[in-house]
Amino acid sequence: MPKDSPRKGNRLSRISWSMIFLFAVMCASASRTSAHRVILFAYAEGDRVFTESYFSDGKRCQDSRIEVFDSFGNKLLEGKTDRNGQFSFPTPQKTDLRIVLTASMGHKDEYMIPAGELRGEAGERSPGSEPPKAAKKVFGAENGSPARQLTPHEVQQIRMVVEEALNEKLKPVMRLLSKPQSEGISFVQVMGGIGFIFGIMGIILYFRSRRGS
Amino acid sequence: MHISEGVLSAPVLVTGVALTAAGCGVGLRKLDYDRVPQVAILTSAFFVASLIHVPIGPSSVHLVLNGLMGLLLGWPAFPAILIALFLQALLFQFGGITTLGVNAFNMAFPAIICFYLFAYAVKRKHNLISMGAAFACGFLAILLGCLMVALSLTFTGDPFVGIAKVVVIAHLPVMIIEGLITLFSAGFLKKLKPELLEAIHAKR
Repeated sequence: MPKDSPRKGNRLSRISWSMIFLFAVMCASASRTSAHRVILFAYAEGDRVFTESYFSDGKRCQDSRIEVFDSFGNKLLEGKTDRNGQFSFPTPQKTDLRIVLTASMGHKDEYMIPAGELRGEAGERSPGSEPPKAAKKVFGAENGSPARQLTPHEVQQIRMVVEEALNEKLKPVMRLLSKPQSEGISFVQVMGGIGFIFGIMGIILYFRSRRGS
Repeated sequence: MHISEGVLSAPVLVTGVALTAAGCGVGLRKLDYDRVPQVAILTSAFFVASLIHVPIGPSSVHLVLNGLMGLLLGWPAFPAILIALFLQALLFQFGGITTLGVNAFNMAFPAIICFYLFAYAVKRKHNLISMGAAFACGFLAILLGCLMVALSLTFTGDPFVGIAKVVVIAHLPVMIIEGLITLFSAGFLKKLKPELLEAIHAKR
């Protein structure tokens, strides 16, 4: 029997090492991917609203239902996402839009776009912003020559060009902003959860031991 | 298989909470002092398992481990799964607080069914029967879980067969993987710590 025990110990330690390895692999894969939550992201651009939807592991929600409601809960339109999880629609109305994504198997998420970010038809201002002033001193202020007055039409055109350029520039930023949500699960959260469970275990054991004694 | 907030109607949510509360009551009553640490370890395993994503198939699915929970814990799987789901909802935003009752019941009820169906067979001396039962336990727990999810979603107005088909097909790889995990875990415990499998039946 004593001859047998070191071999048994060896086998046990090998098994425990393999368990530790398995746990490490699980942790590594866990921190990289996470599943089971859908995320909807939407932004207005020009007179259209673009939506992107994906699972929290980055997989796109294909062929999922998107519904758009106004601030009073009336349904304005609905559609389905394409193969890349995208769906876009022309701005239906100048109200706060509530966009609801319903993916398969009971997954759901929603996103609000406030009315201020929307533009009805191209070029039309949202009501919150100041109306274009008729006269603006822009050119020739330094050399003393009489400043040329911009007509409201010109101001409007400049504004549109600037906005278009800004939209183009901000597109990657928008994408970046929507990304961190999808990788929200960190090692700290996982460890915290496990710690929480063992804390609950401690509380249960404490009360049971008091009852027992 | 976490159902999100705002998908289910109030009666379904309330029913889920009531059933889960009842299950937890039974589970806590059957929980021995000595087995609390074991329950905690399996709760942690269940908690982490949902982060392990199975990259096969058309949809986004992950491990559940409810078959293993049922097999090793019996009724205490109910409070264990409830706590794990609560933390998943809190920390990962999987599922939601209002749907906690329904989600916990959907996962824990199949675990209990599989416990009653397979726990005795897994303990048998005959290796093939034991292994087959362990695999079936992991497999069936997911399959029943899928059907439970489909059943809860039916009350929102969609037809049962349609949803069930989608959910079951998406989880087929998970069923097989969980069957294998349960098989190896049970085989491992049977060799090294057979008293863990026996302990469940000590207090009934």
